[in-house]
Amino acid sequence: MTTIKKHLIGLSVSAMMLGAASAQAEIKIALAGPVTGPVAQYGDMQFIGAKMAIEQINKAGGVNGEQLEAVVYDDACDPKQATAVANKVVNDGIQLVVGHLCSSSTEPASDIYEDEGVLMITAASTSPTITEKGYQLVFRTIGLDSLQGPFAAKHVVDAIKPQRVAVIHDKQQYGEGLATSVKSELDKAGVNVVMFEGVTSGDKDFSALIGKLKKENVDFVYYGGYHPELGLILRQSREKGFNAKFMGPEGVGNPDITAIAGEASEGLLVTLPNSFDQDPKNADLVAAFKAKNEDPSGAFVFPAYSAVQIMADSIKAVGSVDTDAMAKHMRATTFSTPTGDLAFDAKGDLKEFSFVVYEWHADGSKTAVK
Amino acid sequence: MLEQLLYFVQQLLNGLTIGSTYALIAIGYTMVYGIIGMINFAHGEIYMIGTYVTFIVIAGLAYMGLESLPLVFTAALLVSMAVAASYGFAIERVAYRPLRGQTRLLALISAIGMSIFLQNFVRLSQGSRDIAMPSLITGGWTFGDPSSFEASLSYMQVIIWVVTLVTMAALTLFITRSKWGRACRACSQDLGMTNLLGINANNVIALTFVVGAALAAVAGLLLGLYYGVVNPYVGFIAGLKAFTAAVLGGIGSIPGAMLGGLLLGVTEAMTSAYFSSEYKDVVAFSLLVLVLLFRPWGLLGKPEVEKI
Repeated sequence: MTTIKKHLIGLSVSAMMLGAASAQAEIKIALAGPVTGPVAQYGDMQFIGAKMAIEQINKAGGVNGEQLEAVVYDDACDPKQATAVANKVVNDGIQLVVGHLCSSSTEPASDIYEDEGVLMITAASTSPTITEKGYQLVFRTIGLDSLQGPFAAKHVVDAIKPQRVAVIHDKQQYGEGLATSVKSELDKAGVNVVMFEGVTSGDKDFSALIGKLKKENVDFVYYGGYHPELGLILRQSREKGFNAKFMGPEGVGNPDITAIAGEASEGLLVTLPNSFDQDPKNADLVAAFKAKNEDPSGAFVFPAYSAVQIMADSIKAVGSVDTDAMAKHMRATTFSTPTGDLAFDAKGDLKEFSFVVYEWHADGSKTAVK
Repeated sequence: MLEQLLYFVQQLLNGLTIGSTYALIAIGYTMVYGIIGMINFAHGEIYMIGTYVTFIVIAGLAYMGLESLPLVFTAALLVSMAVAASYGFAIERVAYRPLRGQTRLLALISAIGMSIFLQNFVRLSQGSRDIAMPSLITGGWTFGDPSSFEASLSYMQVIIWVVTLVTMAALTLFITRSKWGRACRACSQDLGMTNLLGINANNVIALTFVVGAALAAVAGLLLGLYYGVVNPYVGFIAGLKAFTAAVLGGIGSIPGAMLGGLLLGVTEAMTSAYFSSEYKDVVAFSLLVLVLLFRPWGLLGKPEVEKI
């Protein structure tokens, strides 16, 4: 309840700021992602990171004398709403977007942005297909599933060495993409994958699936998807005495999985981007988040910060909000950001991005697995 | 061999558990349809509200230091039934009664609107994230050899069956034996004539909504405790499944709703078990299409005779 209130207050505050500051010249940046819906907490991560960057850039004098301004759009992680949001962004005359969050939302929205000359940087969407269309204005400051999948698979092969593996996914672009990539890597390494199955996102009962996992004597499960389903799978597995090791991508790595699964979340493995908030050179930034009572540990907070910073740097270098020139500049430059020195390849993906395997604990904390 | 049998039994138990809760929700659809020939699409949302109320009551009692299980269970059951019943009553009064006597399509659209309203109302007041609760009733029995396949039956599953059976039996008695039940049956046969004979049909219809909503709250409580998770969107899928169960069994028929629910639950579990969980909805809904092709009135429904 409080989060919704916070969002409402946030929205009305940004609306008020919009009214108050309209006299001054400013550059608007659309922050698109889920404000509502089951994965809104990931939207939060992205919003607080981007807003912090905007605030700090404005404090330091803005960009070429102009202030940046955040305008939040809610796509609820729904592809249909995402296209509506994209059209609204275009109609509102905004040329810069940080977002969207869910790959299935980013993909349709990116078509519209590319056509309308809007520069988009996603700080969270990891599906490889987003940057495979040869678009010039679509970038991302996060790693790809095609990197994360093989990374997870490598950990499974090297460190876990399971006997019988099941790969489960939620039949959505993000989850199934990851699961497919993990499965093909495991197959290549000769790991015995006995099951590859999809579940329906939004389902509450996984007893039949768990019965099957038990019968197949599975000792390791990779789940491609988000935390609401995996949380229930973990919880019901525990109740039914199925005790395999579970692993998931960053989509399951947030404290809500502990709220849902409780004790059963102990020992879950999660691949996450490096914890940028643990990096000593980001200590000031972490302190700034803490001062605002915000949590800097979310996986997308710092990538969103970097996305805004890259936009601001490019505007400075180009001299105006000329998205084509900015895109050219971005492909040719290495940016020094809190997430490291970032350079983009021709597709708009980062040239380098590293993941870390974490072990989740029943109290919601996590530790890096060496 | 034994392993195969245990596996089958396990999946059957899983299916029966899901099926009984489908059946509980399906009764609400079928009762309303039986009497006024309208599909109350907001019914799934009542179920969702029932789960929320259950969680709030349990959290509130725990906060006050009351953790005795029978007490908490009873309190949660009574409060969620009462709240859901008042929602059922209010919905009928606000969204359906003013449209009575108009074409059925109007009430149907009104029902869909009410469903969207309730979903978003809960989303705004409770937040859109999953709210989780630790399991109150844990443990169960296991059968078979732990080294091969072990079937398990949790206490919670048994509670779900028992409560479902008791509720169904009570409802059947109410419909067949009580004065109000007789009025319900009369209304379902001929609404206009019942009115002429001095029964206030509006009251009977209101009663139907109240009873249906209270049953949905029972399902909300049971499933809330079983899965331990709720969000504002659970009502939609549950409502869809329950509606399917009601149609499968023959909409308007109470034993039909029970049969339809169990059949749907077992079909889903068996498809997941022997085929793939990806296809469970495909198989379940194909079954619905097949039944409707050959028996449009459902398994236990009565063929509709056009009244002249």
